[in-house]
Amino acid sequence: MASTRDIRRRIKSVKNTRQITKAMELVAASKMKKAQAAALAGRAYAQLMADMLAALATRVDESHHPFLTQREVKTRGVLLISTDKGLCGPLNANLFKLVTDIKTPVKFYVIGRKGAQFIARTKRNMVADFTVSDRAAFSEVKVASEFMVAQFLEGAIDTIEVIYPRFKNTLIQESIVRPVLPLHNLKEFVASVQADTGAVRVPHTDDREMLFEPGANQVLEALLPFYVNRNIYQLVLSAKASEQSARMVAMKTAKDNATKLVGELSLEYNKARQAAITQEILEIAASAFAA
Amino acid sequence: MALTLEIVTPEARVFSDTIDTVVIPTVDGEIGILPGHIPLLTQVQDGELRVTKGTVVSFLAVGGGFAQVSGDKVSILAERAITEDKIDEKAVENAMQRAEQAIKDAKDMDPAEFEHLQNMVRFSGTQLALKRRRR
Repeated sequence: MASTRDIRRRIKSVKNTRQITKAMELVAASKMKKAQAAALAGRAYAQLMADMLAALATRVDESHHPFLTQREVKTRGVLLISTDKGLCGPLNANLFKLVTDIKTPVKFYVIGRKGAQFIARTKRNMVADFTVSDRAAFSEVKVASEFMVAQFLEGAIDTIEVIYPRFKNTLIQESIVRPVLPLHNLKEFVASVQADTGAVRVPHTDDREMLFEPGANQVLEALLPFYVNRNIYQLVLSAKASEQSARMVAMKTAKDNATKLVGELSLEYNKARQAAITQEILEIAASAFAA
Repeated sequence: MALTLEIVTPEARVFSDTIDTVVIPTVDGEIGILPGHIPLLTQVQDGELRVTKGTVVSFLAVGGGFAQVSGDKVSILAERAITEDKIDEKAVENAMQRAEQAIKDAKDMDPAEFEHLQNMVRFSGTQLALKRRRR
């Protein structure tokens, strides 16, 4: 049996760990609230934009715009949205599983330190990595999405896809691959946005000719790049909400485990102490008899 | 038949109500929407948006985005939007000065940051013009 001093030392260290994980849980919880609110607030916007895009794209000749035409896919462009810090449960590991599933030629663009490390370590083709703070300002994300769009237009990549942890609720985040460009299948795309936001909008009942000001092509030119930036931004917000939720849950589990461990160790400590006292009494009694 | 108007920004749904008419600032000038308007998709410019409901006329400052009319529903997707009563003149003035100063001071600024500041100055100007003209 371990000595009482050893047990006491372990109890102390587990208690320390519990204190730290508890603090981290509280921090993550407060960040989570903000991140979730941001992700949810952006949904109505994303939905409306998808709606407009759908209305527009069904009414113009889509074959002219590079964003809307399907071309032969030689190299996929994948944006991996991971976290900067660890300690968030299986979140990053699930993302990396999706990365290893990709067998076709691919170029990676990464947000988050963990993802960059993984791509570099496994010697995959990484073109660029970007940092986005916890606050996730639009301008930070815009740099990444504009860079990818430029590469897409140059022909360096033939698709833009995003691998990210989709935020469902505090307990569930699922890692998915989300195609962003080209937008060749609009019905599917609108359906996916609806699944994301959970809102079902009434389809357009108005089938009269639609008017575009200043012109259909000008509106399309303005709306498409705008849409890509905003869409990727929305995915980043969702990923941030997932990260903080996953971290909070992981820290809560760690704290609960530590509490349980302290309970078990205290029991063992008390037993050891009791055994030592009993032993001492026996020894004293035995020596009294002998005397 | 009344129109439904909704104005959505990335942060929130700023406005959602049934109205009689709305005048939207677009890149081609102001467009007035009445019930029964044909479907329309247009680019919105920084400016003031005029909403009439019954005898009440209310104003909003909007900045950059798109507007869609479909059936009796008007949807506006704006980068920024604020109702007139929420505009705080002092705060806007300060923000505008700060942004202008930052633009002046910076020599080689990140283009994204620069664009953001310019947008801020423009939107502040819109808000102030709206607030002052109404007095």
